[in-house]
Amino acid sequence: MFLVGSFFLFAAFLITTCIFVIFSKNPVNSVLFLVLAFLNSTFLFILIGAEFVGIILAIVYIGAVAILFLFVVMMLDIQITTLMFNIKRYIPLALLFAGIILAEIIYLTVFKTSKVNIDTFIRSKNNTEQIGDVLYTNYFIDFQLSGIVLLLAMIGAIVLTHVYRPTIKRQNIDSQNSTTAKDRVQLVKIKPGEGIKDD
Amino acid sequence: MTSLSLEITIGILKIFSFVVPVLVSVALLVYLERKVLGAVQLRKGPNVVGPFGILQSFADVLKLLTKENLLPSSSNKFLFIFAPMLTLILSLIAWAVIPISSTYVIANINIGILYLFAVSSFGVYGVIIAGWASNSKYPFLGALRSAAQMISYEVSIGFVIITVLICVGSLNLIDIVESQKNMWFAIPLLPMFVVFIISALAETNRLPFDLPEDEATLVAGFFTEYSSISFGLFFLAEYANMILMSSLTVILFLGGWYPPIDIFPLNAVPGIFWFVTKVFLILFVFLWVRATFPRYRYDQLMRLGWKIFLPLTLIWVVITSAFLFYSGLLPN
Repeated sequence: MFLVGSFFLFAAFLITTCIFVIFSKNPVNSVLFLVLAFLNSTFLFILIGAEFVGIILAIVYIGAVAILFLFVVMMLDIQITTLMFNIKRYIPLALLFAGIILAEIIYLTVFKTSKVNIDTFIRSKNNTEQIGDVLYTNYFIDFQLSGIVLLLAMIGAIVLTHVYRPTIKRQNIDSQNSTTAKDRVQLVKIKPGEGIKDD
Repeated sequence: MTSLSLEITIGILKIFSFVVPVLVSVALLVYLERKVLGAVQLRKGPNVVGPFGILQSFADVLKLLTKENLLPSSSNKFLFIFAPMLTLILSLIAWAVIPISSTYVIANINIGILYLFAVSSFGVYGVIIAGWASNSKYPFLGALRSAAQMISYEVSIGFVIITVLICVGSLNLIDIVESQKNMWFAIPLLPMFVVFIISALAETNRLPFDLPEDEATLVAGFFTEYSSISFGLFFLAEYANMILMSSLTVILFLGGWYPPIDIFPLNAVPGIFWFVTKVFLILFVFLWVRATFPRYRYDQLMRLGWKIFLPLTLIWVVITSAFLFYSGLLPN
């Protein structure tokens, strides 16, 4: 009873926050609602006993991805009035994505072809160990491949943004650290009434 | 009384038994900080309110409570008030999983260390929301600095935690402490211990990494617009976070509630005494660092995080796991 009640509570919150993500006028509010949506899906994962997946979702999406979103959105100078875009423009794309995700869910729930028989697991193990057992044995290649894809994406992003321009002045930390007092300061004895001659 | 309501009552009492000492020790920590800084700078520090000035922070709290709470007219009102609350809530809910002895903990969960990591990484939201909701230049710059800084140092904290987890083989905080019964992780993982303490300084926005509130360039950083108790909440949260990160250091590296040597007079002392003593020592290091080091420049901070700590911790993860694997010491 308690579990079912909490499920409907968090699910309702999740859907409400998702709607607010789309319809908030201010993009910063949208990102904050997105954070709430992530948080609610974390609760849902914890509710079905998948605490590892839930908390990793929280660390990765709330702790890193959404912060970077917020970081970028806050720095954009957006006039709120210009954001009242025409929603109809995006409906075909949205329907396409929704269709793909729906098809995936149907495929996974109705025609599920799991490589592993879940019942063979010992239930007493906690789900962190269960995930580790499957991830590094049955799905080893898939896991490594997704790692390589992410690495490529990271290198691509760095290559795209890291443009070398000789006009940019940079701090050279090594030369700063290797500077001694002699390079910068000079002890000069001045005779009264003469001042320092500039070389 | 039914068993459920009894359970709830005990739970609430347990929560209070953590939160009240934390808040009192925050007040004492502020006093300690001013005394330590005074001693380092050959001053007396607070010495008027109460014996040796020990009631100074309580007087300061009263002063903050009685002041007028100003709301900037151009700010986002809801988020402006919400940000300090969020910061304090996040620094207190983390205590739910901190074990101060082998049996005394509010929630002994399987993924305690991940929960702590998640909660400490949410801490940046309070700062970034405060900076944005103030709708003012200095707080905004402070918020941007803080977001970049905390994300950078979370990466190295994550790798340090992974190194410890490889040695333990469990994500449970009690398991982590119990595996240090014979040898504290601070000894075999000394470089990671140092990296963790420095990253903890950056994560809690303490000197020498307090660029989000750099008074020389940003007035007061992200809480420039805050007054009265909403400033007080940020202040409380910063010190509560310091105590939290110190306890995390003690749990990960200094053997939690275990005595330094497992011999008779030492192991007869209750574990909570050792835990509190170690937390106190780490907190003293925090204050000592503040009194000793000048503030970092922003590019130096980023360089330290990404170009020194990240490769160092990454290599140590590989070295540790390779050593454990080939020496057959890998847990499980």
